[in-house]
Amino acid sequence: MTALLVLILRVALAIALYAFLWRIFLTLWQDLKQQGEFLSSQKKPGIHIHAVMENGKDIQHRFIQSEVTIGRDPNCDFPVMDEAISAHHVRISYHHTQWWLEDLNSTNGTFIGKSQVTVPTVLITSDQFRCGGTSFTILVDLVDAKLLN
Amino acid sequence: MNKITQSRLLQITAVFLFLQTLIITLSPAVRARTWDVDYRLTQWIALGLWGLFVARAHYDITRKLPDADPYLFPAAALISGWGLLTIWRLDPNFGARQALWFGVSSSVLIAGTRLASIDFLRRYKYILLTCGTFLVALTLIFGTNPSGGGPRLWLGYSDFYLQPSEPLKLLLIAFLSAYLADKLPSRLRTIHILYPTIILSGIVILLLVVQRDLGTASIFTALYAIIIYLATGRKRILFISLFLLALVGVAGYSFVGIVHARVASWLNPWDDPSGSSYQIIQSLIAIANGGIIGRGPGLGSPGFIPVAISDFIYAAIAEETGLFGTLGLLAIIGVIITRGLRAALRAPDLFRRILAAGITAYFGFQTILIVGGNLRLLPLTGVTLPFVSYGGSSLLTSFVALLILLNISNHLDIDPAPLPKPQPYLLLGLFLFAGLFASALANGWWSVVRGPDLLTRSDNQRRMIEERYVSRGLLLDSTNSIINNNNGEIGTYSRNYKYVDLAPVTGYTDPLYGQAGLEASLDDYLRGVKGNPTGSLLWSNLLYGTNPEGLHVRLSIDLYLQNRTDEMMVGSRGAVVLLNAKSGEILVMSSHPTFNPNHLAESGAKFLTDPNKPLINRATLGQYPTGSTIMEPFVQALTGNSSANETFMVNVYKAFGFYQTPQIQLPTAPALSEDDIAIMRVSPLQMALASTVFSNHGLIPAPRIAMAVNTPSEGWISLPALGMPIEALQAPAADEAASSYLVENQTYWQHIGHAQEDRSSFTWFIGGTSPNWQATPLVIVVLLEEDDLRLAQRIGQELLVDAMNP
Repeated sequence: MTALLVLILRVALAIALYAFLWRIFLTLWQDLKQQGEFLSSQKKPGIHIHAVMENGKDIQHRFIQSEVTIGRDPNCDFPVMDEAISAHHVRISYHHTQWWLEDLNSTNGTFIGKSQVTVPTVLITSDQFRCGGTSFTILVDLVDAKLLN
Repeated sequence: MNKITQSRLLQITAVFLFLQTLIITLSPAVRARTWDVDYRLTQWIALGLWGLFVARAHYDITRKLPDADPYLFPAAALISGWGLLTIWRLDPNFGARQALWFGVSSSVLIAGTRLASIDFLRRYKYILLTCGTFLVALTLIFGTNPSGGGPRLWLGYSDFYLQPSEPLKLLLIAFLSAYLADKLPSRLRTIHILYPTIILSGIVILLLVVQRDLGTASIFTALYAIIIYLATGRKRILFISLFLLALVGVAGYSFVGIVHARVASWLNPWDDPSGSSYQIIQSLIAIANGGIIGRGPGLGSPGFIPVAISDFIYAAIAEETGLFGTLGLLAIIGVIITRGLRAALRAPDLFRRILAAGITAYFGFQTILIVGGNLRLLPLTGVTLPFVSYGGSSLLTSFVALLILLNISNHLDIDPAPLPKPQPYLLLGLFLFAGLFASALANGWWSVVRGPDLLTRSDNQRRMIEERYVSRGLLLDSTNSIINNNNGEIGTYSRNYKYVDLAPVTGYTDPLYGQAGLEASLDDYLRGVKGNPTGSLLWSNLLYGTNPEGLHVRLSIDLYLQNRTDEMMVGSRGAVVLLNAKSGEILVMSSHPTFNPNHLAESGAKFLTDPNKPLINRATLGQYPTGSTIMEPFVQALTGNSSANETFMVNVYKAFGFYQTPQIQLPTAPALSEDDIAIMRVSPLQMALASTVFSNHGLIPAPRIAMAVNTPSEGWISLPALGMPIEALQAPAADEAASSYLVENQTYWQHIGHAQEDRSSFTWFIGGTSPNWQATPLVIVVLLEEDDLRLAQRIGQELLVDAMNP
């Protein structure tokens, strides 16, 4: 009888030891899964750029990549045939969970309202900025609900 | 989140240690197989202390270091509690000391959580290292050893001892990390940066070599190489250090005695199992005894391993918790290594990164060194198993190192420092994991593959323990009278030899002198290994770690006749064999002088050196010259004449089986071969077997002494004869030869012979029932190591007549 009781306790002892390791494994796994979900949920929101040129012509594009350059050069992601725009005028890029506007040393500068953009500036949806004679309107996609958590 | 994880893990740890404590409490009841025992209770103090300090440390860590790694502390708490209970179970005195040290160490940890930063280590690196080195240097002058002998590595004050080389490990790691973090970014050539570290570390290592603390010296060398490699990322450093280590190893092997002895006993442990490799072999036997599931806490016998509380605690744990337990232990150490390296990689600056990696390397490397030593994977070094082994300095150092790791891991909000090369860290992790994996494999090898072999070794003292707790089967004579039984009760069983004069035949079983005679050859039945159903064997081993009760064995010996023989043989040297000529059952086997196996403990050495050799069973092991006269009946039976030349004698010996070793459950002298004709010698048993032809119509039966075993499932089962009967002669020839030796007016035949060799004389008497005898045919042989024909004849005749008229 004594031995049977102790045998049961010994089995419980082994279970406790491996429960400890299982618990570690489980929390680490959940950690990993959460991190994975977090990273995959961290899809950058797409950006919709609407340009209205001086002659009234308007162009619009939607981008899902994390960097968009605007300029006169046809190799730009968003080429604009405006004489007052430099070849590589401005860069819109996504990092630190925001879209940023960055002037690329353009000749005529970039303006939000009346103020010139000299340092990278955060853009939010329906912001407007102006390069040369063209004005741009930004629409950022709705952010995934998971990211807000 | 961290708080919940850590608290859950600590809860499981508490359950684990509670169960372990409970099992240790109940273990005496399992051994004694009754509830009425003195339970072991003191180790609950250890559990209580552990709970108190761990709860407080958990509270402080989660409050003061909220982002610290939640796995490190529970892992350390589990294995240090495990170690504490194991030490307490082995020796409550040392357990109490270790509990005290556990209190001190966790108090330091608790106080240390209040430290906001560990930058002071960086600032005062030179002072700290100098102090540490100075303390170690002091041991050269004031060093003592708490156990009296051995290397003097401790500084002692009354009952309090400190081993300065333990904290020095941590100080050296801290110094190297601080120094390298300060100097490396200055873009000097690496070698210029390394000069001061080489000199300092060299001094430290030299100090330890002078002190003969070679295990610690090798850890320092390895830590130095690992840290430099981590910091600089140059593989060349690793190769150079490996080369230097090998060089130092070879030099040590050639010139330093202790290194030579350690390596030699590592390479060839089986050569000297009672001397230089005693420790490692006892360790392996303990691991084998643990097997897969272990004997259960408190139920093994790890006390047989020398220094089980410190150097061999891994083997002690392996014996009581088995491969299951040690794999868990190695996995937990693996968790500490993983989380330590993670803390290193995410550290906010280079100093903390190298420090965390160095500490992890220290934990991992030292674990592999001592676990590998216990498993004969590496030569033995007397280092401690971090957190687990007995030793205050080691425990304190491990806890301070843990504190530093917790502190470093508590910087989640700061971005990790840039890491130019991740390979060194990954390589370190890979190396440590390979070491743990190799240890797990070696553990499996010894406890599963080689286990059964190891346990049957004669230096496995656990058999002696088992004999005290499991009753050994009885040896009975042909009428079930007791020859050997057991004294005492469960826990104190010892063999009792009731019929002492039969000792040369039945032998003995003794913790010191081992086993002999029938006690040795029938050991499997008497211990219950054979004859019990497999199921009950497994179940008993699972429950108690012992075999089931031993089985009784019935012998063919007739105690009445045996007693008559021994009375007549008192004072003589020689042997008597009386056997049933038809069935081969040995009714009397007497060898004189004899000894009293009940006095083996006091007089064993005297028996061994006695010139009369009382331990030898002369009836089967004695080889006596036949001389010419005693062979006459055999020659006559074969040829019709009573004499033959030497070459013809070969045929005689061959015909009567003298060239065949009798097959019986007793050690027998190997029969001589045909080439040994000039000095033909035979044992009394051989002579008795050959003589059966005259009473059994030419047939020699196979001899038998162990007749039956009493199994629990089928009752008495007869044990078959080991040998085969021989058809030596045609019945008429045998009967005719016998008739010419018949004694007048008697129903038996007899013949007396005399032999001489060097200056010794021997007397042979052979006799037996006449071929016409209607009851059991019997044959007797008397051999005296003196020239006394009348005594031999008197013994032989009286016994034969007694046996014929029961």
